[in-house]
Amino acid sequence: MCRSDGVANRSQVFLDLSALLTGFKCVALTGTGMTDAYIGALDDVLPAQLLDDLLAVYERLPVGSERDAAVAADILGDFKLGPVARNLILLWYCGTWTALPDQWRATYGTSPLDTDRVVSAQSYQAALQWVVAGAHPAGARQQGYGAWAVAPAGAGR
Amino acid sequence: MGRRARGRGPMTGDTQYDVVIVGGGVTGALMARHLTGAKLRVLLLEAGPATAWTFDGYTQHLQRFYAAAGKGPESPWPPSVNAPQPDTRDVREGDGYFVQEGPDKYGSSYSRLLGGSTLHWLGVSLRMLPEDFELRSRYGVGRDWPLQAADLEPYYEAAEQAIGVAADVADQSYLGIDFRDGYDYPMRRIPPSYSDHVLAGAVDGMEVELGSQQVALNVRSYPAARNSIPRGDYVPVGAVDDRTGGQALGRDLGQRCAGNTACTPICPIQAKYNASKSLAQADKRYLQVLAQAVASKIHVDAASGAVQSIEYLRYEDPDSPRCTMHKARGRAYVLAAHAVENAKLMLVSGLGGASGQLGRNLMDHPTLYAWGLSPVPIGPYRGPQSTAGIEDMRGGPFRAEHAAFRFDVGNDGWRAPAGAPDSTVAEAVTNQDLFGAQLHDHLASTLQRQVRFSLSVEQLPSPHNSVTINPSYVDPLGLPRPVIHYRIDDYTLAGMAAASDVAREVFGRAGITDCTDSEQASWFPSVAYRGNEYRYHGMGHFGGTHIMGDRAEQSVVDADQRSWEHRNLYLIGSGSFPTMGTSNPTLTMAALTLRTAERLAAELRT
Repeated sequence: MCRSDGVANRSQVFLDLSALLTGFKCVALTGTGMTDAYIGALDDVLPAQLLDDLLAVYERLPVGSERDAAVAADILGDFKLGPVARNLILLWYCGTWTALPDQWRATYGTSPLDTDRVVSAQSYQAALQWVVAGAHPAGARQQGYGAWAVAPAGAGR
Repeated sequence: MGRRARGRGPMTGDTQYDVVIVGGGVTGALMARHLTGAKLRVLLLEAGPATAWTFDGYTQHLQRFYAAAGKGPESPWPPSVNAPQPDTRDVREGDGYFVQEGPDKYGSSYSRLLGGSTLHWLGVSLRMLPEDFELRSRYGVGRDWPLQAADLEPYYEAAEQAIGVAADVADQSYLGIDFRDGYDYPMRRIPPSYSDHVLAGAVDGMEVELGSQQVALNVRSYPAARNSIPRGDYVPVGAVDDRTGGQALGRDLGQRCAGNTACTPICPIQAKYNASKSLAQADKRYLQVLAQAVASKIHVDAASGAVQSIEYLRYEDPDSPRCTMHKARGRAYVLAAHAVENAKLMLVSGLGGASGQLGRNLMDHPTLYAWGLSPVPIGPYRGPQSTAGIEDMRGGPFRAEHAAFRFDVGNDGWRAPAGAPDSTVAEAVTNQDLFGAQLHDHLASTLQRQVRFSLSVEQLPSPHNSVTINPSYVDPLGLPRPVIHYRIDDYTLAGMAAASDVAREVFGRAGITDCTDSEQASWFPSVAYRGNEYRYHGMGHFGGTHIMGDRAEQSVVDADQRSWEHRNLYLIGSGSFPTMGTSNPTLTMAALTLRTAERLAAELRT
């Protein structure tokens, strides 16, 4: 959990939801330095309130053994929230925004920012896909001469 | 303007330069370095901008790569409107700089800016095999070169020094490649990757059938123009940071490859060779580089055929076609603008020539991907994009029947064939609906097992594969766009089929689950052969547009890359190759350039 005791602010709830969806711990997500940029990316593209709707649904999820099924049903399986949640996962893993499905756009509206794109040069380098691969972003964070000859470290969480 | 027939005339008032070079890529830069070293005055015209020439400018190209949605070879290197270039993204629609007349798509691209395509090459620096120079004599196909391997051998050594190649001779003596006693490469081989070791453990020594031969396969480190641990007193050449007073901070960056896994499209630290390094090593007292200067016409003396000047269009703003016209004059002229651009410039100047070969015999190494999942983690997405190949299919009697080929063994997962890791993540999230720990573990397992081979297939010279021009197709400066006629013939198709068979056998031996041509594959052009479809891409290995030979009737240049019809004109680069073999052409281009430069300098100094 990202929140300490007491009332969580929006960023903390966002991070908790992100940790649940990505499988990365909160500290790993925070360490990317991308939290504010990704909240901004969602707010810029989505209709007002939509991200808060998603966060509210997250806050109401049951705890314990029913939690994963509820994520699948109430978030990923939801017509409105599912594509947004999947984009949130892709933001963290790839640093990219992916155009929402046509049906979704037809229902909830379009944004000129809703195109396939890399959020920024920083988000490309911060993408967690490189971490889960036990690797580094191509063209950045070089591992050093000969590091590639060593057995992979395995995915770090 | 004075007549300077055969390039031997005295210097006159309006002749400012000894040699005018068109193009600031690997051949132009090496030529400039050698000629200025011989105290010859050189003007180098570069069509594109010189933004990669400074460390700050280079860094901006890197930032552009990070933020680019597509990360293809051209992504860090946008062209000026005045020096448009082919882009692999345009191959599908056929609406780019190239006018593709087919029947097959020509899949390769190049870049027009100072540094040329070496800014995004992989760095593979294989020598050609001795038999590659005599395909006609040995196997009855293709053409013989007017040079033999032994003629080029000292220049291969010089080229390996000049561009900085890392390899161990002990790995590289195969299929007749021979090294002088005591010779070794200037730097030790780049360490093979962990995945190379795993694959070699499974595959080394396995035999496959090629024609009627049994061929034993080995995973072999290949020579790479990437900085490694130096031998003797060789000093690795790091990043270019050319400024008044000489190299500055960049010099000490990039003296070792650090495993950025981005040789193509941009090595962030310039540990990989690019042509700017050779230009930085030229003697500046004798060199003038004019960037944003597009050669537009060659003027020749009608009687002697000698080149009198090269006309060029200079622009200030890379985004505006506003330009001024100038003429450059020298005693000799060198076209080093790229196989396609050299041919284009000759054709637009009305210098198609009597042999009828100019612009013809266009070749490439059409290449297939084979990809799969290893049974064990191999750690891709680390290190240079590849560090080893399987080279044993590069030569042999089977070449009488079908094309030779080589495998590049990737260290970059499914990036090239499928746009991974992004596409692997998207597949898991969007199609498999994975999330949380399950998603994390699935990706850790999948990404760490991704294997990629590139099966690079030889192509023979054919007069039907060509670069031509057509007044209907021009660029913003009014200069012609290349019109490409290209067909992949049965000789190469049969090579593709054989290469695919060998790849399947290797995968089977190593327990790799074959995922080639799964639905995750990116789009590539395809060809059909005996009921199978082969999806191929270009390797950027253009060749053959101004083919060399020992007779003027059948070739454009002689063994010195000197125009038969315009004796003070040289056309250099892979356009001069009569055949391509299976080696990536840059090292051979460099060797030929150094040979030509030596001869040209000797002639001009007398």
